Amino acid sequence: MGIMSSEPALSVKQLTVNYDKVPVLWDINFSIPAGNIVGVIGPNGAGKSTLLKAILQMIDPLSGKVEFFGLPFKKARKKIAYVPQRSSIDWDFPITAIEVVMMGLYGRLGLFSWISAKEKNQALEALELVGMTSFANRQISQLSGGQQQRIFIARALLQDADIYFMDEPFAGVDISTEQSIMQLLRDLKAKGKTLFIVHHDLNTVKSYFDWVIMLNTSLVACGPVGEVCTDKALNEAYGKGSFVLDEAARLSLRRSSGLK
Amino acid sequence: MNYSLVDFFTDPVLRAPTLGSIFMCLSSSLAGVIVVIRKRSLLGESLSHASYPGIALGVTLLASFFSPSSDGFAIAVLFCAFISSLVGMLLIDLLQKRFSVKDDAALCFVLSSFFGLGVLIASRIQTTHALWYKQVQGFLYGQTATMQDIHIVIYAVLLLVTGSLIVLLYRDIQMLIFDKAFGQSIGINFRLVEIVILFLTVLAIVIGIRSVGIVMMAGMLIAPALAARQLTQSLKFTFLISGIIGALSGFLGNYFSVMIPYYLHAEKLSLPTGPMILLVASFICLLALLFAPQKGLITRMMRVVKFRRNCQLENILKALWKDLGRGVTLKEVSSMQNLSLSIALLRIRKLSSKGWLDCTNKRYCLSSSGEVKAREIVRLHRLWELYLVHLGAAKDKVHASAEEMEHVLTPDLEKQLTDLLNDPLKDPHDQPIPHKGGK
Repeated sequence: MGIMSSEPALSVKQLTVNYDKVPVLWDINFSIPAGNIVGVIGPNGAGKSTLLKAILQMIDPLSGKVEFFGLPFKKARKKIAYVPQRSSIDWDFPITAIEVVMMGLYGRLGLFSWISAKEKNQALEALELVGMTSFANRQISQLSGGQQQRIFIARALLQDADIYFMDEPFAGVDISTEQSIMQLLRDLKAKGKTLFIVHHDLNTVKSYFDWVIMLNTSLVACGPVGEVCTDKALNEAYGKGSFVLDEAARLSLRRSSGLK
Repeated sequence: MNYSLVDFFTDPVLRAPTLGSIFMCLSSSLAGVIVVIRKRSLLGESLSHASYPGIALGVTLLASFFSPSSDGFAIAVLFCAFISSLVGMLLIDLLQKRFSVKDDAALCFVLSSFFGLGVLIASRIQTTHALWYKQVQGFLYGQTATMQDIHIVIYAVLLLVTGSLIVLLYRDIQMLIFDKAFGQSIGINFRLVEIVILFLTVLAIVIGIRSVGIVMMAGMLIAPALAARQLTQSLKFTFLISGIIGALSGFLGNYFSVMIPYYLHAEKLSLPTGPMILLVASFICLLALLFAPQKGLITRMMRVVKFRRNCQLENILKALWKDLGRGVTLKEVSSMQNLSLSIALLRIRKLSSKGWLDCTNKRYCLSSSGEVKAREIVRLHRLWELYLVHLGAAKDKVHASAEEMEHVLTPDLEKQLTDLLNDPLKDPHDQPIPHKGGK
């Protein structure tokens, strides 16, 4: 695999993200050993997606350092795959399932290089892994929620990364698809990959994840699921009254843009 | 004068407007695809109007120093239009970000205020410098007749720029609109892509206004892309088809404006090329909206009519099956199915031609193949009723839904229902569920 096993797959140090002056993520520190399925859990507005976006440099943090296998984002980019939140996709866009999957090659391809027959075959193999071969030429908007999600998983598989980030991959997905996606993730883990998954269903946390990051603006807990997922920690994560923070953030934004 | 198709590309008077228009429309229809897919169609309208003060001011300033017929003049005016349009874009951006103005309001504000400014400048020179004024007006409604060979070169180069930018940025455009977050995760610098797309859009508009005019430019940006969007589900083909429609409109606009007066023997009739180009593009777009194989309004309506007819056919089969072979007259079919006599006759004929009906003494009954078909419909009906009851619906409420679903269920769904309900023999009303094929 070529990865030094001593390096953590992901280490986050003193990461703080502000929306205007109010912190949405406050001084987050953790590191994740490679080869785990990691669940990121916390109540709505706890900053789960923000954490993912800050780690992947889609938003600029106020401070902090993020490393992947000891490397900064720019150097580790090809080791990273990302499955975005459903709501960030334009579902009217004219694109077929296989074309979506082939986007997984874009990070590897140069600006001028064509997609070769060999690479197209790899894309078809990725589709087969998620059981969507017969839908290859189907328009993305014509697929069900579960099928759409499997297409995006196939794209991530094609990226052939070492660490996978998935933002709510089980949202809008039927139970049997959830099970089959989960099996795919376990297969990836068996190959030594690390998976970082934003999740909101507390019932399945203990059965899905090896490692849990519990978040509520600040880091509540991080560690193996058995040690971390206690009632006390859950209570702390979910019962903290983060609504005050939401309101404060809203007010701060209004004040700084000069509104009353 | 009578011209052949080839003349439009070789004749020294015709070739500049024709080729110029084709290149312009091609580039605007390519840029239009991006605008339409990003759902920012109003942007084209605002940016084309925003170029007007630039043109008016540009012509006034430049004409003081250069001859309006010189080659440099044409390029310089386009440059002024480009800058003016760009300023409009920046203002829209500023209004949205700094003043929290909603995008439609910002777009309309820039459209009307810039256009008003342009009108003001133009009217200032209307009486004092009639020749310059004429130049400015040319851009308002489009003016191709005065194009010279140099314009072919200018617009060919500009087309090459827009075309190659789109080819180069194809994947980035795809990611930006479809799934920006993914693009960011593989390290695409979308700020740069956005700037290039903006440059591209403004460029395409500025290229186009000379032939179709400021007022009609937005239509040229939108119509070919909208038509292409109806005809294909692939981004590549959307660009390709839109480009073809654009180029075709550019050519036909010129062709018709020259040839229609000739055909009508009204040589004095002058049909302006710009509106003609837009009319051709809009007409093609209308055809696509109506008749596109998948999404066209008429095609969809025809499919609905066909489906309803099919329902009537299947209902007749079902009724004959329940009649248990006594045979039914045309009149009875008509009254039972609530169809007029003539429609009932048409349906009976259709069923007979498929070999599903036998006729003896003007009484119709099912043939053996018709019976297989009828049994299949009844089976779907009763399976569906049972399924709804299985889901918890009341027995007496399921009939209406089954009347519809018996015409809709596919063999695949039938198999799933059969498996789910353990190949049932009786429906909720204790009627037997006929087996596929057998008795």
